[in-house]
Amino acid sequence: MAFIKKKGTRNAEIPTASQADLAFLLLLFFLVSTVFDVDTGIGLTLPEYVPPDEMEQVEVPKDRMASVLINENGDVLLDNNVIPVFRIKEQLKPRIESKIELPSNKKLIVSVKTDRKTVYNIYIQALDQIKGAFFEVRDTYSQNKFGEKFIDLTEEQQNEIKDKVPIIISLAEPEAVK
Amino acid sequence: MKFEKRRATTKQEIPTTSMPDIVFMLLMFFMVATTLREVDVLVDFKLPEAKAIEKIENKRLVSYLWVGKDKRIQVNDSIVKVEDVQPVMYNKRQSLPNIIISLRIDRGADMGFVTDIQQELRKAYCLRINYSSTIKI
Repeated sequence: MAFIKKKGTRNAEIPTASQADLAFLLLLFFLVSTVFDVDTGIGLTLPEYVPPDEMEQVEVPKDRMASVLINENGDVLLDNNVIPVFRIKEQLKPRIESKIELPSNKKLIVSVKTDRKTVYNIYIQALDQIKGAFFEVRDTYSQNKFGEKFIDLTEEQQNEIKDKVPIIISLAEPEAVK
Repeated sequence: MKFEKRRATTKQEIPTTSMPDIVFMLLMFFMVATTLREVDVLVDFKLPEAKAIEKIENKRLVSYLWVGKDKRIQVNDSIVKVEDVQPVMYNKRQSLPNIIISLRIDRGADMGFVTDIQQELRKAYCLRINYSSTIKI
C-alpha cells in the first residue's frame, strides 16, 4: 500500500484587495487630525528678577535711550512727543541707523513702559513697530553690505549684523500697585 | 460578407495594484506632519496681530500659557491663579532649562495683568518668552 502525501492545492495568500481601503481610512484619520500650526509671535527675553530692595540704578546716557510710554488710552509718548502707534517705526529707524557704527555699549536701548490699564493689543502693536524698525534697519544694512536680505545671509554674516544692530528692548520695572 | 468590428485587444483599465503604495506614501507624510493636540484649551481668547513676527524654530522647547477674555490663566491642562504660575513654571524649567514660554494672551487683556504674569515668570527664571500673535496682512 502506497501512501501518497496529499498536496495542498489551496494557495495561502492574504487578500490584498482591501489594503487600499484600509490605508485610505488611516489616511483620512490623519488628514482630519492634522493641524499645521506654526507658532509665530514676538520673541522677547525678560530680565532676571531682582528683589526691589536689591535693585541697582544704572545711569544711561540720554541719547542712548528711546523711551516708549503707552498710556491707558493708547496714546504713545516717544521721548516726550505724542505720536500715533504706527509712526513709532519711522521715528526709531534713523536713531537706530545712526548708532550702527558705535561700539556695542552705545547702541540704542528702547524702553517700553505701559500703564496697568493699557490694552494688551496696543502694547503688541507698539512692540511690533519697534521690532519692525530693528528688522528693517538690519535688512537695509545687509542689503548695502552684502547685497542680500538679512534672512538670505549665512549664519556668520547674520551674526555680524546682529552685532552691529542688536535688538535691545527693555521692559520697565512695574511700579508698585497703589 | 461579414463586417466585424476590430476590437482593441489591450485592456482599458488603470492598474490599481500600486494604489495602496501611493496612499501609504501620503499616509506617511501626514503621520509625520501631524501634531496631535495634547491639551484642551479651556479659555476663550483672540490673539493680537503683528507684522514683525518670527517663527519658533524648536517646538520641543515651547510651553504655553493662555490668558482668556475672562482673565483666567491656563497652564498645561488646568486653570491656575496668578500666584501659582511661578511654581508650575519653575518645575517646567527644571526639566527643560532653555524653555520658551509662548504667551497666548487675549488681545483685550490689560497690561497690569500681563505684567503680573511676567513678574511671576521672571521669578521662575523663565526668561525666554514669546507673545503669540497671528500675522497681519
